[in-house]
Amino acid sequence: MSEAVRETMTVSERITESIAVKTVFTIHAFGLEIAISDTVVMTWIVMAILIALSAAATRRMKMVPGRGQAALEAFVTFVYDFAEENIHHHGRKYAAFLGTVFLFLVTANVIPAFTPDGGFGFEPHFTIKPLTRDINVTAAFAAVTIVTVLVSKIRYKGVGGFFRSFVQPMPFMLPFNIMEYAIRPTSLALRLFGNMLGGYIIMLLVEAVMPLVLPPVVGLYFDFFDGLLQAVVFTYLSTVFIAEAIE
Amino acid sequence: MDVSSAALLGAGIAVLSGIGAGVGIGIVSGKTVEAIARQPEAQGKFTGIFIIGAALAESTAIYGLVVSLLLLFR
Repeated sequence: MSEAVRETMTVSERITESIAVKTVFTIHAFGLEIAISDTVVMTWIVMAILIALSAAATRRMKMVPGRGQAALEAFVTFVYDFAEENIHHHGRKYAAFLGTVFLFLVTANVIPAFTPDGGFGFEPHFTIKPLTRDINVTAAFAAVTIVTVLVSKIRYKGVGGFFRSFVQPMPFMLPFNIMEYAIRPTSLALRLFGNMLGGYIIMLLVEAVMPLVLPPVVGLYFDFFDGLLQAVVFTYLSTVFIAEAIE
Repeated sequence: MDVSSAALLGAGIAVLSGIGAGVGIGIVSGKTVEAIARQPEAQGKFTGIFIIGAALAESTAIYGLVVSLLLLFR
């Protein structure tokens, strides 16, 4: 979008334009039309970044680690300790899942801060929008989490124990226990989505009101701290749900 | 009053849920500070519980935000 068009838009038009999820291209396969949106492409980019960094850090692993390997080893040790502290017996099996979710969400939430900024005749070639502004992304994460909870509950308590857990501690708790499996993923998805989208809209408003000094200062909170905090909250709640399911 | 102005009004009313979330997070953090003051050695455990409590209290505000966004960008 050129600078001239941008100037003529009102603030609310600009926000509506910015938070809309656009279709980049369409795949025709098996007689279906699969629309690939820009958030899906951003998901691939984040995956590529994480895979490339991990591969670069663990290539030529040594007994005495280098800088990248040491950082990654410290993170892995931290996730192992965190999972074992919170899930106790089987914690180590879930450490990989939790660490992956955390790393992905942190990268996905912080990456919009590195978008090039326009102005003074400079036109950026691309803009990085937060990919958690699309509820489909966060809903997918919540679905993966709740499926993990269900599968691990059946695996460690057996099918009978799984169905018995619905009438515990009291039989009249049955509707609430069933509702829990719908409410938990909904609240997980909506919390992440609402927080990131809300922060993004506030950043757009701040940029519209005062584009000079304020955005970097406010961005420290909304781009870095809030993104990190929401990733921590999502991972922590996933851990709590899994721990409660298998204890 | 036509539908679009009623929707704008409703969007404003929906984010009033932020009041409850603010009170809730205030209570959670205040009680966490009290707990840490009593038992400073258990600070790590309190932090985890604090994050859960704050996230749960905050989610009501987020529901209000989502409702108001739905009304705004219908």
